[in-house]
Amino acid sequence: MRKIVPCGAVLTTCAVWLAGPAYAAPPDLAPKTGGTTTWGVATEPSCFDPHRSSQQAAFFVARNYIDSLVAKRADGSFAPWLATQWSLAPDGLTYTFTLRDGVTFHDGTPLDAEAVKANFDFVKKPENAANAAALLDRYARAEVVAPNVVRLILARPDSSFLESVSNVKLGILSPKALAKGDLCGGGPALAGTGPFVFAEYVRGQSARFVRNKAYAWPPGYAAHAGPAYLDGFTIRFLPEAAVRAGALASGQVDVIEGVQPTDAPLFTDQPDFTLLKGPLGAGTAFTLNVNYTRAPADDVRVRRALRDGFDPEPIVGQAYLGTVPRAWSIIGPDNPAFNRALVGAWGRDVAGANRLLDVAGWTGRDAAGFRTRDGKRLTIEVGYPQPYVRDNREVLIQGIQAALRKNIGLDLNLRIITAGEYAKGNATGTWSIYPNTDNPSDAARELWDMLGTKGFLYTNVPNPDPEITGLVDEALAATDPARKRAFTDRIQVLGIEKAYIVPLFAPSWFLAARKGVEGLGFEAGLDSPANAYDVWLAGE
Amino acid sequence: MPARHLTLRILSRLGTSLVVAWASVTAAFVALHALPGRIEDILAGDVDFPGLREAIAAEWGLDRSLPAQYADFLLRLAHGDFGTSYVLRRPVIEVVGSQLRPTVELAFAAGLLAVLLAGGLALATAGRGRLAHGLASSLELVAASTPVFWLGILLLMAFSFSLRWFPVAGAKSWNALVLPAIALALPTAGLLAQVLREAMEKTLDQPFVTTVRARGVGETAIRIRHVLRHALLPAVTLGGWLIGGLLGGAVITEKVFGRPGLGTVTLGAVLTHDVPVVLAVVLLAALIHVAASTLLDILYLLIDPRLRTT
Repeated sequence: MRKIVPCGAVLTTCAVWLAGPAYAAPPDLAPKTGGTTTWGVATEPSCFDPHRSSQQAAFFVARNYIDSLVAKRADGSFAPWLATQWSLAPDGLTYTFTLRDGVTFHDGTPLDAEAVKANFDFVKKPENAANAAALLDRYARAEVVAPNVVRLILARPDSSFLESVSNVKLGILSPKALAKGDLCGGGPALAGTGPFVFAEYVRGQSARFVRNKAYAWPPGYAAHAGPAYLDGFTIRFLPEAAVRAGALASGQVDVIEGVQPTDAPLFTDQPDFTLLKGPLGAGTAFTLNVNYTRAPADDVRVRRALRDGFDPEPIVGQAYLGTVPRAWSIIGPDNPAFNRALVGAWGRDVAGANRLLDVAGWTGRDAAGFRTRDGKRLTIEVGYPQPYVRDNREVLIQGIQAALRKNIGLDLNLRIITAGEYAKGNATGTWSIYPNTDNPSDAARELWDMLGTKGFLYTNVPNPDPEITGLVDEALAATDPARKRAFTDRIQVLGIEKAYIVPLFAPSWFLAARKGVEGLGFEAGLDSPANAYDVWLAGE
Repeated sequence: MPARHLTLRILSRLGTSLVVAWASVTAAFVALHALPGRIEDILAGDVDFPGLREAIAAEWGLDRSLPAQYADFLLRLAHGDFGTSYVLRRPVIEVVGSQLRPTVELAFAAGLLAVLLAGGLALATAGRGRLAHGLASSLELVAASTPVFWLGILLLMAFSFSLRWFPVAGAKSWNALVLPAIALALPTAGLLAQVLREAMEKTLDQPFVTTVRARGVGETAIRIRHVLRHALLPAVTLGGWLIGGLLGGAVITEKVFGRPGLGTVTLGAVLTHDVPVVLAVVLLAALIHVAASTLLDILYLLIDPRLRTT
């Protein structure tokens, strides 16, 4: 399918050209209320319930109808939202939240401490198998102190806890809706407190949202107060990138997300369109995670050769046409915890990589030109689960594959595998290289996910490196920001030094909109498009 | 045909349909469970916390033995209960039911269009000289070998993005059906026309055509009344393939045009091992296949009187 993309892009160029120049109205100074917009969105969420979903695509949609207790600002600090204030007891285990007065759910139920407790109880209960429970691994229970005061008590200190509370996955749903059971199908039954009410979902086609007229409790970072400007908006599911671009270019939708690098020039510096590039602070870089317990990658020399045997810069540049930067660390460059010391500190050392492999005994060559040792080819498999392949990422890995073969005779064997094969490799700890981006937003939790003993990658790998897993545990337990920072900085360096992780590039969310759609932005906790609360229409 | 004989034939048809349906869901059940990876691991994906996999297994009954799961599945099926989708967490009947209509509409519109186009082309060009032959066969070849995906994008570029005659996506109005139907119909029409035209050309060489001509019947009337009937048999044989092709092509067409439909749902279900949804779709496909082959058998009888004697 990827072969089609450039063709589609070329054709969209034609479409824009044919659409001709149009008059661009100067934006009004003051935001206006009213109007509706249509969004072209790439992925149709399989579940709209934020507690249950594990899809990025679902979370930014959910932000329109789900609020959280606290809001995360771009600089990493937290702002009031459904909770006006909060405190952490000196033991690092007890968070006390004071709730805002007068907040009601879409179904009319008032928000109180009981409602918050019901949400955390629901997610924590293992039988409910809610994905968000992964964020509550150190959480013990909730206590109602007063109708508007709730206490969340941890079993062990969790330096990522406030961040998790701000995450849409732990957003607050109406207790009535929770009691009703499965909410994956969306619609008005999925009642939160958000600025929009989920009016209607037509599977395979669209989701429609209308303004919550009672809304008076935006997050601390919002640009205005009171209800949303838009009367409502509709999301249309358009899985093909070229089709989304064409739909925007021809005025059939107002905003699209998931703009491909090949389509980006259509909307960059154009009189009728704007292109917005999202931050990379919530997610990790796109990385090759190397299972360092599996031969031949159990040899640090082989891993370092893999890390240094190619130059990511031109390969990333070619795959993404210069729209995204290469990565230097596991943590995204816009994350406050990003370790800047790593920039320029590693990589692109083909001669050194070859020396390492020579010393490691991979001195033979087979007929195809790959290095061998004792007659065995130097090969490491990259198992990329098909459902996660997107956004030219397999092309990027193919570029690296070619460079490694040419530069150092290493066979990076990219295999697109099924979700089942991946699950099996993960359950038995026998995966070799897993390429991914991770998105829990807190640096310590990201590192815990990717490298910790109970993170999803190493949970079934016997005897992971105690040095790094120990540091990860300490980072997650360090509630003092400076201490936490020291740990996360060290882990980022170690991850590169030991070549457990090879960061490739820092992906960004791209939005494009027609001129006149104002107030679009991104949410720091997700890197994703912000909800439509601050969006308004100019010049109509 | 005696009435008793007919009843027997209908009964045996029904019996065969049941066997086909049972065999296909059983094969799908076995295949899904033979694939690598436990379903609870696949459903958990990149999420992990103590008790998650056990909870998923308990929720969907995956902790029981396979024969027990299979027996339970058949029993529920017998009661018309298709279960709940593991991934979408909605009743399968609701998921498949809501997506059936747009797919059937698309497949039907495309099928009709394909038949009309193929028939028209074959009637217009069969046995009308070298130029017509060359033109028609190259047209058919191009149409038959054009990928639906590419064709869909081209159609969108021209008629939706530039001329803005038709909306890009959805299934809310008739005009949203036009482009997808054309995209899906053209490749099918190309192949059908090829078969039909060749059969017609062969028939035109038959001695009986000369006889008909000798009676003074016009060329067009010969083609429509006599030749087409003979040429229809091989084309109808393609009918089963045609239905499969249309339903398969609908998957791609739906994706390009952002249309609701079974294609998207099926693709997602297969990728995520959403067993109940896959089994329901397999069952549906089996039933459509049985219905189509029954219909084709009847069509044979209508077209060819020689088959009616037994």
